[in-house]
This record gives sequence, C-alpha cells and structure tokens, in this order.
Amino acid sequence: MKNPYYPIETLVEDVIVETPTIKTFVLAPSRPIKFKAGQFMQLTVPGCGEAPFTPSSDPAVTEKMEISILRTGKVTDLLHALKPGAEVGLRGPFGKGYPMDKMEGKEVLVVGGGVGLAPLRSLIYALLANPKKYKRVSIKCGARTPDELCFKRQHDAWAKAAPNVDFTVTIDVPAPNWTGKVGLVTTLLDGLDIDLENSIAVSCGPEIMLKFVTLKLLEVGYKPPQIYLSMNRKMSCGMGKCGRCNVGHYYLCVDGPDMCYDKIKNVPNVFG
Amino acid sequence: MHFIDATNFERFLKKISSGGELFVPVREAETGKLHLERIELFPLPDNLCLDGYRTVEPLKAFAQLLRYPVAEYPSTEGDDMGDEKVFPQVVVAGARGCDLAALALVDKVQVEGEFTDPFYKIRRDKMLVVGADCSECGESCFCNLLGAKPWPEKGCDVAVSKIQGGYLAEALSERGEKLIRESKDLFAEARDTQIKMRDETRAKVVKDLEAKNKAFPKAAGLEEAMRATLSDEIWDDIAARCVECGACTNICPTCYCFLLYDQKADGSHFQRISAWDSCQVTGYARMAGMLNPRPRLSDRVKHRLYHKYDYLPLSHGAIYCTGCGRCVDTCSASIDMREALKRIKEKAGGAKKA
Repeated sequence: MKNPYYPIETLVEDVIVETPTIKTFVLAPSRPIKFKAGQFMQLTVPGCGEAPFTPSSDPAVTEKMEISILRTGKVTDLLHALKPGAEVGLRGPFGKGYPMDKMEGKEVLVVGGGVGLAPLRSLIYALLANPKKYKRVSIKCGARTPDELCFKRQHDAWAKAAPNVDFTVTIDVPAPNWTGKVGLVTTLLDGLDIDLENSIAVSCGPEIMLKFVTLKLLEVGYKPPQIYLSMNRKMSCGMGKCGRCNVGHYYLCVDGPDMCYDKIKNVPNVFG
Repeated sequence: MHFIDATNFERFLKKISSGGELFVPVREAETGKLHLERIELFPLPDNLCLDGYRTVEPLKAFAQLLRYPVAEYPSTEGDDMGDEKVFPQVVVAGARGCDLAALALVDKVQVEGEFTDPFYKIRRDKMLVVGADCSECGESCFCNLLGAKPWPEKGCDVAVSKIQGGYLAEALSERGEKLIRESKDLFAEARDTQIKMRDETRAKVVKDLEAKNKAFPKAAGLEEAMRATLSDEIWDDIAARCVECGACTNICPTCYCFLLYDQKADGSHFQRISAWDSCQVTGYARMAGMLNPRPRLSDRVKHRLYHKYDYLPLSHGAIYCTGCGRCVDTCSASIDMREALKRIKEKAGGAKKA
C-alpha cells in the first residue's frame, strides 16, 4: 500500500521573479508527475508544512512543474526565501481540473486577476496546444499595477497564438508609462463580442474578484452552468478526508477546486 | 442465539484478544459513567460494565487515532506503507449501537470513495468489535430521534446483551461467526426465557428514550427547515453561549476532520502528524492572508450542525449524527443539538405559516 501523505522529494531548479510579490518555482520532482490543468498539488516546505497550489506550467510536461506563488503567509514567506537547489516535497495531483471536454467546440472565455493567472496559465497551455479544438479562446486578465502583471514575457505569444485566440490586459488604476487599458478586469467584460449561448467562462483570482466577475458574467447573459470558478479554501489532505475545504456539501479538494457556479450558487457566503 | 455465562465470556475475550490489545467499558464509581479501559492482565475488573449506556470515549478513536505520525521524510522507503504488522490487533468490547453506526459513517469517509486513508483502513481491518445493548438511557441519549435502536443491529463482529447470569450473544459478521465457532464450547443455546428477558430490557430502554425526547423533533426530513433558517438569528443566539473549546467535535463519534502538520524529527528528518481538529476554532479553515470562510463563531457553530444534518446527507448519503448525546454532555455552555433542531423546526414552520 502507498502512503498518500508522503511528499515526493523535489528539487527547486530555478526561481523566476514574476512580480515584486510573485515568484515562479521551477520544480524537478524525483519522479514524473502527470496532472490535468486546474488540478492542484500540495507543496511541502520541509519542517514547516504544506500548502495547496495549482501548477502554472504546461500539463503536457511531466518531468518539470512550475508553480507560481504570491507571497502572502507563513509558508509562502519561506517559499519566497528558497534558492535554486533547495529541496521541497510534492503530493498530488488532486481535484478534478478544468472541464476541458466541455470546452471543445466552444468559445472559451478565460478571466484572470493577479496571481489567479497562475492556474490559468496551465489552462492556457492546454487550450493553445490545440486551438482548433475550440471555436475561440478569449483571455482577459487584470492586475492592480503594471508591475503586478504575471507572465508578461508570454503575453505577445498568447495574443498571436492563433487567429481564434485573443488576449487583453488591464490594470486597476492609471500608472506612468502605461498606455494600455485601465479599469478592473470586469470592465473587459463590457460589450463582449462572444457567442454567449455557445460559451464557457473560466475565472480565477481573489474571492472578491471572483464575486464581481461572476456577477458581471451573469449580467451580460451567461447562465450559472456556463461559469467555472477556481475557488479558494484551505485544502489539506487532498482526498476529501480532513474536512476543511468545504463549499456547502462539496469538498474542493475532490470536487474542485474549479467549481461550476451552478453547483455552489446557493451556498451562503460562497465568496467569503 | 447463544448464551455465554460471565466466566466464559471472560475466557472468550481473553482468547480473541490474545496477541493484541483489549479495551472494555468500566463504570467509574463517582460519576457512574462508563470509560474504556485497556486490559493487560486478567481477570477483568469488577467494575466491568456491558450494560448501562455508551462510554464517554467514542469508538472512532481506535480507527482514527487522536494524534499519530503519517509520514517521516525524506525516507529511503519513500511512500511505501511498510509492514502492516506494526499496527496492533485491537478488540473493543461493549460498543453501543450509536458508536457502531457512527464508525460505519466514518468508514464511508476514510475508506470508501476515490481515495482510502491507509492508516485508518489498516487499523479498522484489525479491529474486532463486540457490541452491547444499552440497558439504560442516558440523560442526553437521543438515538431514537435518528430512527436507531439502542442495541447493535450491525457494525460489530459479535453482539452481546447482558441478562441475568451472563450474556446473550450473536454473530453479526462472518468474522464474528468464526470467532464463536472456534470457541463453541464456551457458548450454550439461548433459551426463550432469556431472549424474553433481553426483549423486555430493550423495550424499557426504547420507552425511556421516547419519554426523554418527546419534546424534540425527529432528525430526518429537517433539511428544508435547515435551509430556510441558514441565515437566521437563532444561530447568533446559540453561538453567544459557545466558548469555542471544540469539545463537541472531539468527542463526537462521527467527526472525522483532522489537521496535518509537520515538525522536526531527529537529525535532518521531518515528521508529518495527523491530529483531530475542530471546525469550531477560528483557524480551522483560515487560509493564507487571513482569509476565512467562517470568520464568525456563529458561522462555525452552525457549520457543525449543517455539516452533519445537511451537507453529509448530500455528499455521503447519511446524517452524520447517531444521537449518542456526547456533545450535549460535554458542552460547558449547555448547547444541545436537540434544542437547536427544535428551534430550527419551529422557526421554519412559523415562517411557512406567516
């Protein structure tokens, strides 16, 4: 029998500074890890504990895994102090991942905010690996300031990936030398030229953003079954056993973390 | 149906627990309450008690330990579970219907489904359980409200009912049948008068349960009322008394939530520990950046009830309460689940009329 609590030894190969508060860790696990876009891992900082993160890398790559992490608490403080060569641990993958089969032939709207773009990058890799499978891929992302935009080096490539792919970015407040769009990410959802009937929307970001993105999507005409949200809860065991990641009667670690809004819309304080 | 006298019952327990650990209920003189006690030397203590009602300690504690290491890392064995022989064979005697039903519910979470917790599974497989009838109804007992009976119907290997001179005994599992078969010289055929004695006691306890709980609603079918009162102020009122100690969840035989944490072991090794945790404490579901889906105490007090009476029926097909009443006994603020359910029902009923 295998011990599901044992973290697989993993080497930090490289650390990429994405923004002042976000770093991407390039990890080499001691054995390949197969995952689906949207599934999450438990990352162990030896002696400190583990925290759940969704990889930001291409799910087609199993030897290396990238995880992009916002510095925001005890474990992430320690993670941000790690240098290449450090040893960490991984368990997983856990959860269902994004509903890739439901997206086929559809206009896929991807809405990300801040570090929320990290899990979505894994989805973007999966979508752009074969853009013809989808009628359209429209990526909208936002950050508070230009400095806080993630994966800037890839934005151009995404925008030009295929004729049916578009990529738009906005920042919350005006900034010097910024000539792009200004406004919350929800403003990118005004006047959407999307075939709503035939669309799936996926969003990831802070809960407050998820709330307003959801309200906006409903306002522009999306129906709850068309909306998928990457929910935030404290996933721990990853196996639906330890009890702390519930949203209503769902455990995010096995039923999510990407949840169809239709399933959770009646849960009180669903967005915290 | 078999009969076994007290002396032979002791022999039987000795035989089935040889090479393993044996726990039996004993009655504490001062309080009259039953506690599970480890027996390392025979004879069994004089205060052995297989009647009365459930023990203070929940049965789940033998399958899901209060605190135990789940991994030591890095390790050359990696994620191999190793030899199951290091897990002890445990015999627990005197488990009541409420505890047996509760353990079956925890099994659903820890063993069934996509993932199995190997530690729980191994311990559970190595547990032999001797169930026992209740001969009394405790002040806080309410298994009848859950539609259950105060005697073992399933979930144990052998079930015993204390009667004059000994016990009626019945196998409730294949393992139990084998155990009785292997010790058949210790058992006699039960007489009809003995079965009648048992049935009289059972009927008396059922009557007591009904009398004690006549003011409270049956648990089944309250989902609608619960959803209607989800944002009601009754929760603030109930939570106003809670002192957030977490005793109710720790003592609950169906509460299975645990915390994983890491600590330094010897040298450059680390240990991962699994420990019971309580959804009643502030930090339970708190995330990085101090985000908390249940920041208010009333959110958490209410969560305990909703998880048991609404969420788990939806996700695991059963109410995760078996009416043992331990949470009622242990609560220093006298929060009574039955009272809460009664208020929910009244409030929702009132709202419907209005």
